[in-house]
Amino acid sequence: MTAVTASDDHVPPEIVSSIFYSAAVSDSLALLVAETSGRTQRFTWANEGAVQLLGYGPADLCAMPVEQLFPTLGGGELKLLLRRERSARRTLQVRTASGALLDAGILTTPSPGGRRWTVMLRATANEQERALRATADAHERRFSALTERSPVPTLLSEQGMRLAHVNDAFCSLVGRGAEEMLGTGWISTLHADDLDAVIEQVSAALGGGEVEVQARLIRDDGTVRTTVIRFAHLFTPGVGAGFVATIEDITDRLAFEARLAHQANHDPLTELPNRTLLAQYVAERFRPGAGGLACLFLDLDNFKVVNDSLGHTSGDELLIEVADRLRATVRPGDLVARFGGDEFVVVCEHVGEDDAVALAERIIAALARPMRLGGVDVRPHASVGVTVQTAEHVAPEELIRDCDIAMYQAKSGGKGRITVLDQQARAEARNKLRLVTELRDAIDSRDITLLYQPIFSTASRTPVAVEALARWDHPERGPISPAVFVPLAEESGLIGGLGLLVLDETCRQLAEWDRLTGVAAPPRANVNVSALQLDGNLPDQVAAALQRHQLHPSRISIEITESALMKDPASAQRVLQQLRDLGVELAIDDFGTGYSSLAYLRHLPVDCLKVDRSFVAELSAGHGEIASAVIALARSLNLCTVAEGVETAEQADELGRLGATYLQGFTLAEPMTGGHAAAWFAIHGETAQ
Amino acid sequence: MTVTPFPDLSPVAAPSFDVEKILASIDTMAAQRPVAAQLVSVANSEDTSAKELSRILASDVALASRVMKLANSAYFGMRGRVTSLQFAVTVVGFTTVRTMATVALTDLDDESRLPEDFWDFTTHLALAAATLAPRFGQRPQDALCLGLLAQLGAALLFHNDSEGYAEIAATEPTFAGRRAAETRRYGINSLRLTAVALEQWGFPDPMTVPLKHVDDYRAADGALLRSCFELAARLTTEDYETVPIVRVSCGQLREEDVVPVLDVVRADAEELRRAMLGD
Repeated sequence: MTAVTASDDHVPPEIVSSIFYSAAVSDSLALLVAETSGRTQRFTWANEGAVQLLGYGPADLCAMPVEQLFPTLGGGELKLLLRRERSARRTLQVRTASGALLDAGILTTPSPGGRRWTVMLRATANEQERALRATADAHERRFSALTERSPVPTLLSEQGMRLAHVNDAFCSLVGRGAEEMLGTGWISTLHADDLDAVIEQVSAALGGGEVEVQARLIRDDGTVRTTVIRFAHLFTPGVGAGFVATIEDITDRLAFEARLAHQANHDPLTELPNRTLLAQYVAERFRPGAGGLACLFLDLDNFKVVNDSLGHTSGDELLIEVADRLRATVRPGDLVARFGGDEFVVVCEHVGEDDAVALAERIIAALARPMRLGGVDVRPHASVGVTVQTAEHVAPEELIRDCDIAMYQAKSGGKGRITVLDQQARAEARNKLRLVTELRDAIDSRDITLLYQPIFSTASRTPVAVEALARWDHPERGPISPAVFVPLAEESGLIGGLGLLVLDETCRQLAEWDRLTGVAAPPRANVNVSALQLDGNLPDQVAAALQRHQLHPSRISIEITESALMKDPASAQRVLQQLRDLGVELAIDDFGTGYSSLAYLRHLPVDCLKVDRSFVAELSAGHGEIASAVIALARSLNLCTVAEGVETAEQADELGRLGATYLQGFTLAEPMTGGHAAAWFAIHGETAQ
Repeated sequence: MTVTPFPDLSPVAAPSFDVEKILASIDTMAAQRPVAAQLVSVANSEDTSAKELSRILASDVALASRVMKLANSAYFGMRGRVTSLQFAVTVVGFTTVRTMATVALTDLDDESRLPEDFWDFTTHLALAAATLAPRFGQRPQDALCLGLLAQLGAALLFHNDSEGYAEIAATEPTFAGRRAAETRRYGINSLRLTAVALEQWGFPDPMTVPLKHVDDYRAADGALLRSCFELAARLTTEDYETVPIVRVSCGQLREEDVVPVLDVVRADAEELRRAMLGD
């Protein structure tokens, strides 16, 4: 076997010489050998790299005392560099042949015996490292220039919560100098209540997360800025983790949002909470079955009078003054809200009925003090409804609703009163509420039916028209009078739907009669229209119904009560004119019960007056004056008349004598269904043709 | 012209103490505290992670608890939020972990073997260094660690020659005088000995260079550490004869800059001392 086996201890001489050769001629590695001679250590050998690095000739190097090469080495330190049993590592300055000092890393390794050392030199500040350091410095300068000049407040951490840099923008945000805020100094700018949350997020950022937190900063002048601080993780190899944080001052934005929220929840005129906030407030405090919550609903009496007579500005002044007085009268902690228009609600906690009524009395007294509006002394009066929470209240909105009801009761009992909603009133109100729901269902499912009562010509005693009358046959309560459900529909906003139903059904019935009986069909149907329907939409609705059932406009007569016309005469006149332009006939219902100005009546485009049944009834008692006057008036205005509620033949004769154009009454013909009416007209109508 | 490559060396009196023995003793200590020794050797590596460091640190319960305590101290402002060792390592930083390991390795945590008021002075020195570091363009964390370890050499000298060292401390009230006396007795002053030890363990240049330039009032490299010695002495030494700060700081500081620093340092020193010693 010829192969040489090298053990760890024994390296073949040819390998040793090979390594020695490469070390000796290397110019990238500076190697020297030092030996102890006598009491000093001198270099005894140097390779090519050492000669090049240090600039000495090989011969000069190989006699040089070791401390000569390391001028900064103190007297006793040489033995720490040339240790007998261990290698040593130092960073020292080396004196080169030119006299210049060179920073170098020194590694010494003793040979066995401790009298000879291999000394390896490595210039620390070589070109590459210098370039690297310059690049790193440039990066850092660029980064700090970027943050220093940035308008975004920026923090740069060093360790944990400690800061190494803060920029000018942050300094001006908190009004302090950078010096004070480095390290942990900036922590004192954080609001004490937000500190934990900030530390929490710093922890997350140091752990590698990108996080943000809302925190308040205290400026040096004591003012508070609300900010969002966004943290990003920073890792420096060999050093550890830190963070960079940017701060957004959201104080102004929050203030703006708060202003918007305030506006959304407050009445701009009186600055009182509005309906939305009231609902929220009551909902937050309402505990079913707990009691103790009271609501007072106030409605100013005759506010409209002030508004109409003194103008809206005075009306607004009045509302502001009322709001101020309410605020000043209620207990601290009570809520005063503007419910709408001239309605206010006060909510109190922990009170009984007596306390609530006492408060209502105080309020009425406070409001009644005179105030001067537009040069006039006004004493605002209010009707107040009071409700105290009971076990029966299961939802917060029921409280408000109940005191609203109580207020209406106070109002209808005479103005300036206080009414507490009692058990019976609440039951009635509930009943009414249920009825409204059922009425809505009845309208939706067309369970409201129509009956038709013939109207006769006085001269010929033949039927010439019908009046459509709405009927509601309730499945449980039986027939419900129009005197009940029509006002209910008006109060609860269902009148529009009800009116449309009556209009459409009447037209449909007319068309069906035409189809079934041809010329024997009733020539015209009168349809009642509520005051609340009397707006710009009505002519279009009538036209649409006529068109839907392909009827001529003259087949319809619209009946409007006198009082409806008087609510807003100018607007009523416009609507009537449009209806008239369509070609439908117009009649004034219950004429004589309202307070129409005759001059005004002259200008209304109507065809007919209906003499109220009460005047007709008076005929039997020998008092025909009013009926007579109405009929005469109509005639002089060239209008026809319908006498309602004709009960007897004598009445019919008398009305004929007075000159009434048409008669309508129970004894002449009862109201009947559409089907009956077709048959009835087939029999009785022929004489009319 | 004759070039004399070997100018005569000024004769140096032979030191009366073998300082190499002192360095050798560190190696012996390292064998007794293997976890600390391992931390000292890995912490400075670029690919070290907090996870790896905390894994090693966890095997030395005493040292780990000191790192936790330090991470939760007022100095780092984390107010008790540091509950895991890995997070503690992240908060205090790798150099600090390494510094604490060095403290453990060299028995600096045993006050009975240290010069009088060693930690009182050291914590003031370290906090002053961290606080002033940005003014000198240095990283506060490195400055803190440098301050904590600066007196390592003095402790080593005291370990091996407590009576002789105590005598030097007692008879030399000035830093320069004390270091000259150290050099006379040991052949090396305590700060250079610290530098030798730190270089031996591979601590980075910013931790060792200032130690070598403390006594040269013209050297900017030593200005921060020199200023901090001055401040720590003002804070901890009775009847200390002050040196103008503008002089020791190479003109970087004026007396009015110093006042707020003294307050900060005074406030945190005791807590830092407790964290370092695990009291």
